[in-house]
Amino acid sequence: MLKVENLNKTFHTGAGDVHAVQNVTFSAADGEVVAIIGASGSGKSTLLSLLGLLDAPDRGSIDINGVQLANLDSAGRTKYRSTQVGFVFQQFNLIPNLTAKENVMLALEFARWPKEDRGQRAEEMLAMVGLDAGKADRRPAKLSGGEQQRVAIARAFAAEPQLILADEPTGSLDKSTGQKIVALLREAATKQKATVLVVTHDEKIAQQADRRLEIEDGVLKEIA
Amino acid sequence: MRSVGVVVILAVAIALSISMLIARDAVSTKINTVRASTGTTITVSPKGFFGFQGGGTALTTTQINGLLSLPNVTAVQESLSEQLKSTQTSLISPTPAGQLGQQFGSSAGSSGGSSTSGSSSFTFTIPIRVIGTNSPGTAVVGGANGGGTEKLTSGKAFSPTSTSDVAVIGNTLATKNKLKVGSTFTAWNTKITVVGVFSAGSTFTDSNVLMPLATVQKLASASKQVTSATVVVNNINNVASVDRAVTKRLGSAADVTSTQATVQSELAPLNSVKTISTYTLIGSVIGAAIILLLSMLMIVRERRREVGVLKALGATNRSILTQFIAESTTFTVLGAVVGFVAGIAISSPITSALVSASSGSTPSSVGGFVRGSGGGPSFTGGGSGFTPPSGSFSRSGGGLRFGGINNTLTQIHTSAGWSTLAFAFIAALIIAALGSSVAAATIVRIRPAEVLRSE
Ligand SMILES: Nc1ncnc2c1ncn2[C@@H]1O[C@H](COP(=O)(O)OP(=O)(O)OP(=O)(O)O)[C@@H](O)[C@H]1O
Ligand SMILES: [Mg+2]
Repeated sequence: MLKVENLNKTFHTGAGDVHAVQNVTFSAADGEVVAIIGASGSGKSTLLSLLGLLDAPDRGSIDINGVQLANLDSAGRTKYRSTQVGFVFQQFNLIPNLTAKENVMLALEFARWPKEDRGQRAEEMLAMVGLDAGKADRRPAKLSGGEQQRVAIARAFAAEPQLILADEPTGSLDKSTGQKIVALLREAATKQKATVLVVTHDEKIAQQADRRLEIEDGVLKEIA
Repeated sequence: MRSVGVVVILAVAIALSISMLIARDAVSTKINTVRASTGTTITVSPKGFFGFQGGGTALTTTQINGLLSLPNVTAVQESLSEQLKSTQTSLISPTPAGQLGQQFGSSAGSSGGSSTSGSSSFTFTIPIRVIGTNSPGTAVVGGANGGGTEKLTSGKAFSPTSTSDVAVIGNTLATKNKLKVGSTFTAWNTKITVVGVFSAGSTFTDSNVLMPLATVQKLASASKQVTSATVVVNNINNVASVDRAVTKRLGSAADVTSTQATVQSELAPLNSVKTISTYTLIGSVIGAAIILLLSMLMIVRERRREVGVLKALGATNRSILTQFIAESTTFTVLGAVVGFVAGIAISSPITSALVSASSGSTPSSVGGFVRGSGGGPSFTGGGSGFTPPSGSFSRSGGGLRFGGINNTLTQIHTSAGWSTLAFAFIAALIIAALGSSVAAATIVRIRPAEVLRSE
């Protein structure tokens, strides 16, 4: 269960203050897929970075399964990032000199999974996202965009995190591949009872979600 | 591919540093050896003084004794060279005039001064050479006279401050005149007692007479005069400064020749090699450091996104740093090992090339020196001939010696000692540490939120 209350983030730039996230309050249940739509620069990525503890909010609270993230120390935040959150990026962002399987195993390593289980877990995850078994030992450069994003999803879900933050996961893919990827996210969310937040520009993709939120100039509101 | 390039460039820089370090070591060792072997004496003779034939105005005892008060001077040995004409002495020169004339003609035509001889009917008696000295017992005969070291074969030497009418004579002269220890002869109308006989291994020097300085000054009416002095310096490193001080003190009255000064100019090419190698060494170490810093910066920057992703995935700063430091250390160690081996391999040819290139710029001076003074080895340097062996550099003697030094100048032995190895290791370590800290500083500053931004 994710509960966000009164979250604020302002960037102080040379051109003036940018209120990227303003008084954002919402909650999402386990296994729920929530789409976040909004124009460019409306604050979608900023919101995700606050939720993933990549950046610190100015005000407000994030509560995940009863844990206040603001109370975590540096080690706690690192642990949160490696065990409670999974990221899926528009640019896939796989580690280029590691194979698909090694990329998944790396996330397990950071989450301190038992060493002997990592290989098998990685293979299971790659199978779940539908990557051909023969491609598990390929480096990202030798995989298609859709395949790389499948690997990224496998990596994001591998350590069984509570929260998946996907920032335009279909942005670099064609329409049908994009829809398959969102379907995959929703499947994994259900299976692992994780909350998935998907940022997207695409109305069609947004309609695959359980709920839709719209953000405008940092202000979030529910779309009925 | 890029890593290979970095390692190669690093290896080249380290190889260059190592070879320069070795070259520098070898050259400094050589310089020290050469300097140490050249003695610590300075020869002073009157301006324009030309030993055997005389000439120039003699220096005075007062002038010379004043040199003792100069800093770093431990002793001043003085001598006065005089000639005894046949009318002034009972001694007969062992060398017949005709024979000597031929000798002059063949060996040193210009310096003999008796070029009119050549016909045996010409009656010319060779004068006897008398050297008044305040340093008897020290070997007297220098390379100038082609002789070896003076040795007493019988009797004893007189005291340095003696004023007696005594003499130590060369054994050739002794044989010719049937003199032995205790015998007497006359010189300047005075009865002189032979107290010793010496041998220096050459007929010419063994025809000389050694007498106390004061005695010769008195008898030859050359009161307080000195024709040659040798200043002994306490330390090899002070020779140059004492040389300057002596020159300043005596001014235009004297020719001041230190073997050091001459050797110093001979060593100039080696010194310039030393300087070149020092600068190249510093340059290549700095170069290596800069190369590694820039490559680390480039690598970190290029992998900025990767670092951000690792942070987003929950990697600690430390684990990311460890990985980068391992990489930069691997580069450095690989580069250092390859560079070290290559550096040792190329150090010997590089040293020789540097040395021959630098000395190649002054070959004429060296050769000219040897030729110019070597032509008349028997006589030209006579004035300073009777000096102790440590400073037995007359012009010609010096020339011959320098010829020898020059031949060995290029015979420099390069070797890589533990200190070189330690240097390479420490340099590599420092460079790696620098590279790592630059990487670290950049890595720590990368904000993971950046990975959410599309470029
Ligand atoms: N690090 C930063 N420093 C200053 N301003 C920032 C920073 N990050 C984001 N902003 C500003 O905050 C606002 C929200 O940015 P954000 O990246 O969240 O938008 P977005 O909704 O993700 O846009 P897009 O759809 O183009 O990705 C923008 O005006 C942006 O310029
Ligand atoms: Mg964005």
